[in-house]
Amino acid sequence: MSNLSFVGKSRKRKDGPDKVTGKAVYSQDVKLPGTLTGRILRSPHAHARILRIDTSRAKALPGVKCVITVDDTKGIKHGFVETPRYPPDQEVFARDKVVHIGQEIAAVAAINDMVAAEAVGLIEVEYEILPALFRPLASMKPGAVEIQPTHPKVDEPYTNIAGKTETEWGDVEQGFAEAHLVRTDRFESHLRTHGYLEPHVTLAHWENDKLNVWTSSMGTFVKRSKLAKVLDLPFSSVRIHKTYTGGTFGGKIDLYTHEYAASRLSMLTNRPVRIVASREEIFSAYRHGQPLTVELKTGVDRNGVLVAQQIKIINNAGAHRGSGVVVIFLCWGFTMAPYRIPNFKYEGYSVYTNYTTRAPQRGHGCPQVRFAIESQMDMIAEELGIDPVTIRMNNARDPEEDLPNSDNVHQAGLKDCLRLAAEKTDFLRNYGQTRKAADLAGSKRRGWGIGLSSYFTGSLIYPNGSGVMVKMNDDGSAVVLTGALDVGQGAETVISQIVAEELSLEMEDIKLVTSDTDTTPQDIGAWISGMTYVTGNASREAAGNAREKLLEVAAEQMNTPKSDLRLQDKMVISISNPDNRLSYRQVIAASVATHRGDTIIGEGFWRTMRDEPMHPSLATTKGRWSENYAFSVQVAEVEVDIETGEARLIKALTVHDCGFPVNPGLVKGQVDGQVSMALGHAFMEEVVTRNGSTLNTNWLDYRMPTIHNMAISEDADVITEQYKVGQPYRTKEVGEGLVSAILAAMANAVYDATGVRLHSTPFTPAKILSGLQKLEQKKAG
Amino acid sequence: MIEAVKSRSRKRLITLTVNGEEHEIAIRPNAMLVDVVRDQIGLTGTKSGCSSGSCGACTLLIDGRPMLACSTLAVECDGKAIRTVEDLADGERLSPIQEAFLDQGAVQCGFCTPGMLMSVTALIASNPKPSHQEIKKALEGNLCRCTGYNAIFNAVLQATGQDGIKPIMF
Repeated sequence: MSNLSFVGKSRKRKDGPDKVTGKAVYSQDVKLPGTLTGRILRSPHAHARILRIDTSRAKALPGVKCVITVDDTKGIKHGFVETPRYPPDQEVFARDKVVHIGQEIAAVAAINDMVAAEAVGLIEVEYEILPALFRPLASMKPGAVEIQPTHPKVDEPYTNIAGKTETEWGDVEQGFAEAHLVRTDRFESHLRTHGYLEPHVTLAHWENDKLNVWTSSMGTFVKRSKLAKVLDLPFSSVRIHKTYTGGTFGGKIDLYTHEYAASRLSMLTNRPVRIVASREEIFSAYRHGQPLTVELKTGVDRNGVLVAQQIKIINNAGAHRGSGVVVIFLCWGFTMAPYRIPNFKYEGYSVYTNYTTRAPQRGHGCPQVRFAIESQMDMIAEELGIDPVTIRMNNARDPEEDLPNSDNVHQAGLKDCLRLAAEKTDFLRNYGQTRKAADLAGSKRRGWGIGLSSYFTGSLIYPNGSGVMVKMNDDGSAVVLTGALDVGQGAETVISQIVAEELSLEMEDIKLVTSDTDTTPQDIGAWISGMTYVTGNASREAAGNAREKLLEVAAEQMNTPKSDLRLQDKMVISISNPDNRLSYRQVIAASVATHRGDTIIGEGFWRTMRDEPMHPSLATTKGRWSENYAFSVQVAEVEVDIETGEARLIKALTVHDCGFPVNPGLVKGQVDGQVSMALGHAFMEEVVTRNGSTLNTNWLDYRMPTIHNMAISEDADVITEQYKVGQPYRTKEVGEGLVSAILAAMANAVYDATGVRLHSTPFTPAKILSGLQKLEQKKAG
Repeated sequence: MIEAVKSRSRKRLITLTVNGEEHEIAIRPNAMLVDVVRDQIGLTGTKSGCSSGSCGACTLLIDGRPMLACSTLAVECDGKAIRTVEDLADGERLSPIQEAFLDQGAVQCGFCTPGMLMSVTALIASNPKPSHQEIKKALEGNLCRCTGYNAIFNAVLQATGQDGIKPIMF
C-alpha cells in the first residue's frame, strides 16, 4: 500500500479547474440556434377522469409550432422497475385519467417562453373529479377507490397495493416466546426531497435521423435505454451527450416526461427543443423521497442479543409503481445486514396514493428504517440497563459472516467502527449525563446519540456492468473512454487516479472522454452505489490491459523477460539492468512498427456478482444482492433548547468502513454532505402538502441547511481492504448510506438531552415541546 | 396579461461592461440579468438554480457588490460593471479563492460554486480577514447541497490565511 502514488491519496478533482472557472458545461449551458421552448401542461387535480382535451386553440396561437398529448405517443410504457413481475406501468402523458397533481397532460413547443406559457393556458381539459387518497392505510382498505389495480400476485383483500416484499427465517413466534424482553414500536417518516441545485433541464435535437439529447441525469446509458424505448427508436438513433450534473441525490434517474416531450417535439418540428422545469414544478410535480411507516417488534435476551424481529413496512408510494417496490425490498436488506437476527419475519407493502410518483432518494429507505431500529435499540438497552454501545456490540456482525441471502460481509469493519466511535467521542462518559444532572442552568441541553448502518455496494440492474477503454497516445499520454458520469462524487478523479497508478502516468497525462452514449463504453451510472467498485475495477482492468501490451512490446525490444520490467515516469525499465530502458513513446512506436500497426489500446470490463444471472427477487429477496457491504457508526452531539423546542446538530462523528478509500478527500466530502443532508431532514425540511398539493414550492419555504446550520463533521476511516496494482480490489459504498445512522443518532441524542423519545421525523420544536410537556405531567402526576 | 406584456416589450438598448468588456445589447424590459448574461453575452458560468432569488447560484458582482442575477432586471444595470466567475482567473492562473476551493474539496457537483466564489470574492475585497460570523453572513444566501458547507468555510479561511488552514487535496 505504501508504494502507491495516486490511489489512496487525496488528489485534487480532475474537473475542479473547469468547475471554478465557469467552463464546466451543464445541460442548461448548451445552446443551439433556432431552439424552441417546450412547456408542459399539468393536472391541477389529484385524481380525476379526463373527459376531453382540446388543443385546437393552443395550436392556432401564432408562434406555437407543435402540441402533443398522449394521442401523439405510441403508448409505450416505462417504469423505474421493468421486470416480468413489475412490468412498466407508466405512460409519458396521462391517458383517460390523472392520478396526481402535476401529472403531464400535454406539451407544447413555441418560439419563446411567453408564447409557450400562453399556449399551455389555451389547452382545454374537462375533468370529472374522483375521490383522492393520501394516507396509505386508507388507500389499502378493502373497497377503497382504486388508484391503480392491486398487484395480481398479492392475494390479500387490500386495494392499491403496488407490490409486496416478504421473507422470513427461523421461527419468529417461537423466538418471541423465548425472549426475555419484547418491544413493539411504530415509527413514521416524512416527505422530503432531494434539493439538487440544478433544475431538471433537457435539450433535444432531432437531426438526420438522430436524436441528440443533453439532459441533467445520473447515468446517460439508463436514460438512453428508456428514452429510446418510449420513442420506439433504436439505441443507435439516440445519443445522450456528456454534461455535468448539478446535483442529483436520486432525483434524476427515472425517465421524466419532459425528456420525452423535448425529444418528441423536436422530432415533430425538426428543431431543437428545450424544456426547463421551474423550481415550483420540481417541488409540486416531480418525484420526492418515500415516507415509510415502520412497525417493529423485537425480542432480545437478557444481554440485549436479538432473538427475534418482525418488521412491517408500509410505503406511501405515490401514484405509480416508481421505485416504491424497490424501497420495500431494500428495507429488508438494510435491516438484516448489520445485526444477526436468528428468527426474522419481514413484510413490506408499497401502497399507491394520489401523490406524485416517488423516486429513489439518497439512502433509499435506509435512513427511515435505521431510524426505527436504532431508536428501538436504545429503548431496549435502557430497559435492560445496558449501554448503547454494548448492546450494539452484542449484535453486530463479525467479519466473514454469511448473510441470510448467501452474501458474505467479508472484512466487515462494523465492530471496529463501533469501538472507535465510542472511544473518539468518549461516548459512555457523555451519554446520560444531562438527564442525570439536577438543576441545570439555562435552557440549552446537550445530548449524545449513536446509530449504525450498513449499505450495499452496487447491485445488478440495467446496464449491470461497466466498460472502460484506455487509449495510449504516441507520446505516452492516455485518453480514457468511460461512460461514468461525474455528478459531483468525483468519478473522473477516481478513474484518473486508478489509471495513473496502473500505468505510472501523471494525473495530467490523462484526459477523459466520459458519459457520451455514442463514444464511450456502457457504464452502470452514478446511482447504484457501485461506481468506484464497478467502473473503478473496469478502469483498472483497462489500464492493466494497456500495461501488459506495453510490457510485451518492451520485452521484445529490450531482449529481457516481462518479469524483469517495471514502469516509471513513462519509461519501461529493466530491473536487472536499469540502463536498459525505453520511453512509452518508443514502445508505442515499436508496437505500431512491429505489430501490424497496432497502437496500444487497453480495454477493461467489470460486473458485480459475475455468477449471478440477475438481481435478487424484489418480492421474495431470494438471490444475491451485493458483493461488498459498507458499515458505519455515527455519533451525534445535539443541543436542544427546552424553552423553544428547537434542536440542532452541533457535531457529528462518522466512523465508516468503505473498504479502501481511493481518494480520502473525496470520501470526506461525501461524509460532510451526508451529515448536512441528514440534519436538514432531521430538523428543517419537509415537503408540506394539502390534498396532494405542495404548499412549499421554493427554498424560502422548504428550508434546506444554509451555512448557518453547518455542523462540525469529523470522520474516521476503518480500512479493511487493500489496493495492489494489477489486482482486483474491493471498495464499499460511501456516498449515500451515511445519511442513515446519523438520523437515528440525532433522535437518540434528542432523547439523551431531554428524555423525549421521538417516533417520527422530522424532529420539530412542536414534537419536542409536546414530549417535554408530557414528561412534566408524568413527573407531576 | 401576456398580450399586455408583449405590447410593452419593445426592446431597449443598454450598455453593460461585463468582465471589463463593453457590450451594447438590445433587451426586453422584463429580461433578467441572469438570462442576458447567459444567453446574450454567452457567459454560462453563472448558474440559474431557482429563478426566485432563493439559492444564490446566480450570484455575480454588480459594481463590486454581490447580487442575484435572477432577481435583477437587466435594464437596471445599464451602464454598470458586471463581474462573473469567468473573470476570476488570470488566464490559466486561478485566483487564491479558486485555488482554496480546490485545495479544500469545496467543489462537488460545482453548480453552486460560481455563485459561492463571487460571494467570497466580494467579501474578501471589502474585508480581507473576515471573522467566522462574517463569513457565514456573506454566504448565507448561497445554498450548497453537496458539501455541507464545511469545506467551503475552510476554503474561505485558507484564502484569507486564517486559523492555519492547510490544503487537504493535492
